[in-house]
Amino acid sequence: MQRHSRLVTPLVTLLFLSLYLLTAVALAETVFVQSKTAKLRSGKTSLDSVVADLKFGEPLEVLNKEGSWLEVRTARGAKGWIFAGKTTPTKPSGSEDDVLALLGKSFRRTEAGDVTASVGARGLDKVSEGYANRAGITQRDRDAVDRMATYRITDQEVEDFLKSGGLGEYAK
Amino acid sequence: MQLSTGNERLDKMIQGGRTLLSGLLPIGYEEEQSIGAAIALQVVARYGGVYDQPDLTRYVNLVGRAVALTCDRPDIPYHFAVLTSDSINAFAAPAGYVFVTRGLLKQTRNEAELAAVLGHEIAHVSQKHILEVIQRSKQIAGVSEAGLAYANRNPDAFKGIIDAAVKTLLDDGLDQEKELEGDRLGEVFAARAGYDPTAYVSLLTRLRTLKGDDKAFFKTHPNFSARINAVQEVIQTHGWKPTGVLLEDRFTRVRGKI
Repeated sequence: MQRHSRLVTPLVTLLFLSLYLLTAVALAETVFVQSKTAKLRSGKTSLDSVVADLKFGEPLEVLNKEGSWLEVRTARGAKGWIFAGKTTPTKPSGSEDDVLALLGKSFRRTEAGDVTASVGARGLDKVSEGYANRAGITQRDRDAVDRMATYRITDQEVEDFLKSGGLGEYAK
Repeated sequence: MQLSTGNERLDKMIQGGRTLLSGLLPIGYEEEQSIGAAIALQVVARYGGVYDQPDLTRYVNLVGRAVALTCDRPDIPYHFAVLTSDSINAFAAPAGYVFVTRGLLKQTRNEAELAAVLGHEIAHVSQKHILEVIQRSKQIAGVSEAGLAYANRNPDAFKGIIDAAVKTLLDDGLDQEKELEGDRLGEVFAARAGYDPTAYVSLLTRLRTLKGDDKAFFKTHPNFSARINAVQEVIQTHGWKPTGVLLEDRFTRVRGKI
């Protein structure tokens, strides 16, 4: 009997430890970066220094929540704060994840050898120019769409615009 | 590059299989850019051209880019332009082309309202609503491919596909549910960017007062009451409250240029 109880104590301890670990895993909340640009900061204000630049869709383990900010840890182990508005609880479905569309793109590329297209902003290409010719689109309107497609504003300019407006993490 | 097996019949079978598979696969980004540019050309042509006022163009692009940063598809470039037309409307074409008319800008009172309008259009791009229409019309027409090589080989058929999409976009309208999804997501995108979440309701309510609700003012959109309800549901679900981040001053500075 005594020998039996000597076995029970470690077993119960192990059971409780397992339950604790399982609960801890279940409670660990993960969020994902839901912004093209997002900064991990050393503190919970936009004035704090940048620890790391985060990527769209990157998973983050939530360690703490305060106001509109989350303290998080990245998969690479970096720890810091991110504005909660730049995260989402579910993995975002950006076009990078659209495996079928990527498959379609690469598949079709093999049969469209005469097309030179680059991913990124571009103006009218051979196909849309061809359409413009057939549809009788004026040169003025072609130039307008071309200017629109090649209009440049950098991510930094957008960030400065958010800052000057007190938007998002720059909220006053 | 075209590989040959040396057997003509087998080559034809392989090509047939490739064509069929190509038609079943979703439209890739390269194609989307060609399709988007072609549709954008028609939008510009039918709405009096682009209103090229440098300060206004820059401002609308900055607001649009700020909202697009936090949309569900932020990894493609978005382009924004003002249409000369005095009608009250906004449009989106695939690959990130977003338009707002001078008429709608004149009814807008602050940056938060503009952000929500652009958010609605960005949602059409991020959810690929127009590409779905094209995919469906391809299937109905029995066209098993609409790739770039196909467009080069069959420019008339490509024109037919684009014209049908333009008719849906500008004349008949997308499915009402897609428009409501645009409202819901546009609201979320603008709020994520940091704008007052109640601004969109204010704009839609003003437009309902201006244009009435008996018949859909935007014949291509659900009536205003349904749209206001959809946005209010989003606000309630998230428990959002007015924040006062409307940025009326910044909007007023460019208002004189509209």
